Amino acid sequence: MGTINSAFSLISGALDADQSALSIVANNVANANTPGYTEETPNWQQNHPIEINGSSYGDGVTETGATSLRDSVLVARLDQQQQFASASSARLTALDNVQALFTPDSGSTSSKAGDIGSDITSFFSSFSSLEANPTNNALRQQVLSTATTLAGDISNAAASLNSQRSGLDQEAAGVTSQVNSLTKAISQLNLQIQSTSPNADAGTLEDQRNEDISQLSKLIGINQITTENNGLSITTTTGQLLVSEGSSLQMTTGMVGGATDFFLGGVDITSQLTTGGGELGGYLTARDTDIPSVLSSLDQLAYNVSTNVNALNNTGTDLDGVTGTVANPLYIFKEPAVVAGSAASMSVVMTDPNQIAAAGLAQGTGDNTNAVAMANLANSSIVNGQTPTDYYSSFVSTLGATVSGVQAENTAQNASVTQLQTQNDALSSVNLNDEASAMTTLERSYQAASQVFAMLNTIMASALNLGDQTAVS
Amino acid sequence: MRVDPNYISNLVSSLDQSQANEQQLTAELSSGVSITSLSQNPVASGENVLLLNQIQQDDTFTQSSSLVTGQLQVADSTLGSVVSQLTQAISLATSANNGTMNSSDVQSIGNQISGILNEVQSLANTNYQGQYIFAGGQTSTTPFTTSTATSPAVTTYQGDEDVNNLNTPNGQKIQLNVPGDQIFSASGSNSVFGALNNLVADYSSGKVNTAQAVTDTEALGTALNYVSQQRVTIDNSITQLTAASDAVTSDQTQLTSAQTNLMQADVAQVATQLSLSETQRTALEDVIAQLDSTSNSLFSKLPI
Repeated sequence: MGTINSAFSLISGALDADQSALSIVANNVANANTPGYTEETPNWQQNHPIEINGSSYGDGVTETGATSLRDSVLVARLDQQQQFASASSARLTALDNVQALFTPDSGSTSSKAGDIGSDITSFFSSFSSLEANPTNNALRQQVLSTATTLAGDISNAAASLNSQRSGLDQEAAGVTSQVNSLTKAISQLNLQIQSTSPNADAGTLEDQRNEDISQLSKLIGINQITTENNGLSITTTTGQLLVSEGSSLQMTTGMVGGATDFFLGGVDITSQLTTGGGELGGYLTARDTDIPSVLSSLDQLAYNVSTNVNALNNTGTDLDGVTGTVANPLYIFKEPAVVAGSAASMSVVMTDPNQIAAAGLAQGTGDNTNAVAMANLANSSIVNGQTPTDYYSSFVSTLGATVSGVQAENTAQNASVTQLQTQNDALSSVNLNDEASAMTTLERSYQAASQVFAMLNTIMASALNLGDQTAVS
Repeated sequence: MRVDPNYISNLVSSLDQSQANEQQLTAELSSGVSITSLSQNPVASGENVLLLNQIQQDDTFTQSSSLVTGQLQVADSTLGSVVSQLTQAISLATSANNGTMNSSDVQSIGNQISGILNEVQSLANTNYQGQYIFAGGQTSTTPFTTSTATSPAVTTYQGDEDVNNLNTPNGQKIQLNVPGDQIFSASGSNSVFGALNNLVADYSSGKVNTAQAVTDTEALGTALNYVSQQRVTIDNSITQLTAASDAVTSDQTQLTSAQTNLMQADVAQVATQLSLSETQRTALEDVIAQLDSTSNSLFSKLPI
């Protein structure tokens, strides 16, 4: 049989429980905008009933602490998707910069500056003009000036691509220190979690660890493996260990072949990181795949235009009646030795317009056979089986299609991230309405308990006074 | 199911998207160009390169054709003058050959024909912008020189047989010149200078060998016909050039309109899209404002 004293202790327990629950609500509200914070709910536990003389009496309630509202599968899924989305957005940014070098020419004269497509046409058209009057100095001068524009625009584009590439290289290298500090933080959190909460959700520590993992997911592609005692190991997507429970491996960088490579425990993991995802994956894809492919297309164009034009000019007769020889070749462009790097080094070496060999071999200087032949290069398949203009046209189409493909990919991945984020927020984020209603409920329950306490007090006073109403109030 | 309490941030990202869209449309309107980066329409960007290439080639040909038309017209009018000079020479020779003239008249006709010879030679040595037009490829060398060391005098050709062609954008070749020897000193009886030199020799002494002079006059007649035939080649080139130039101009017009359709912004369409986008943005802003004012959460309703 219960006593008034036991009712006192029971109701004061309820007041304690309500207070601690209120403090959990207050903590939720306080952390409503804290990144990575997961909403917590109080755990209510009924105290063991007491049996007296065969009857069971309830013994009140205890609040046993807070539980974080977390769905680890959802969180891991979000991290994974974040890796893809970060990779494609870093790559898209890089590609946007690349395609800005090849803005479509709208056809107006002001837009023609820097447009390689119209440079190619102007250059070969200058030979068509020369056909009409092969000895005209102004027309010859025009050949050299259009050649200079073409070479200048191609070499400028190549130079910009190279500088964009080294910019990406630096950004990629900069990611390393962020990754290292995050993996170190995660390994330390692992130790704390393993010691304080080996069997259950570690609450705030877990929040911090998840936040760090989500930051890490923005940077590189990772796999998470849960280990015993609530520990965690993190590897790259190809299985190179980054964090093993309480210890972390530091990623290092080194220059290999003019570009930064990434090492983990002495192993070069650059190519693995490239396909892995995250910002770093995007940077590396742009640095090692996208920009080199654009550069090599420009190299092909520059090499084939330079060598073919040079070869023809060398076999004709110039205005002074001279034909090029091995020792003294009549080259318009600097003759490239190999394809690689041709675009960057493309330049015009001819300074005297009289050296343009408009006339055919052993013909009079008024002949235009060679000018016709050089003009015809515009319609000959001299660049990878295509005419220079067709080649440039398919080059811009391919580049545009690549960028637009990455754009579509990025949009889809971002939508998926948003969706997962929304799902996750619906569960784990602090909802102020919920908190207000929880607080009202707890407040009411606290008020009720206080009322019960007051009434018990009155009852207790009556019992103590035993009829004498004035002794105790 | 609870809703994501951060719905405002989702709305704000929609607002960002809508603003980016508006910015793109405004850029299209202000520049008049619908494709401002390759990725917007990769196929059209590639097509644009090809169209601009053709337009520019056509443009170059139009310029070249006006340049060579001048040269061809000079050649044509020169040959016209040659024909009238030769016609005059033939009528002079015919009058000398009819046997009614005394020797001084004959000599005077010989002198006149000699003058015509000089005139024809200077016409054959015509240059256009400093380049001899009847010299084949040797345009910097005077093509015809006459040596009076022998009688009859001999006019020799210093040029070559080179023929220049102008290629039209669709690959047609238009002949730009006729080598001088084909016109003036072709072999046998077609040689203008041979016939003229012979006639000058025939009349120089004042005594006419009528049979020889008649033969030489007939030879000059044949040569005149030959010059006229060669002149047809030049006339044909001028006609071809005009036709090609017209074709190219109409081709260029079509290409330009195709390129314009491809690249230029359709103002009406863009304006409609812009207005839609603006409506969407206004709606989003209103929604955000409404949610913001009412949703200070349940806390605002709690009695304090």
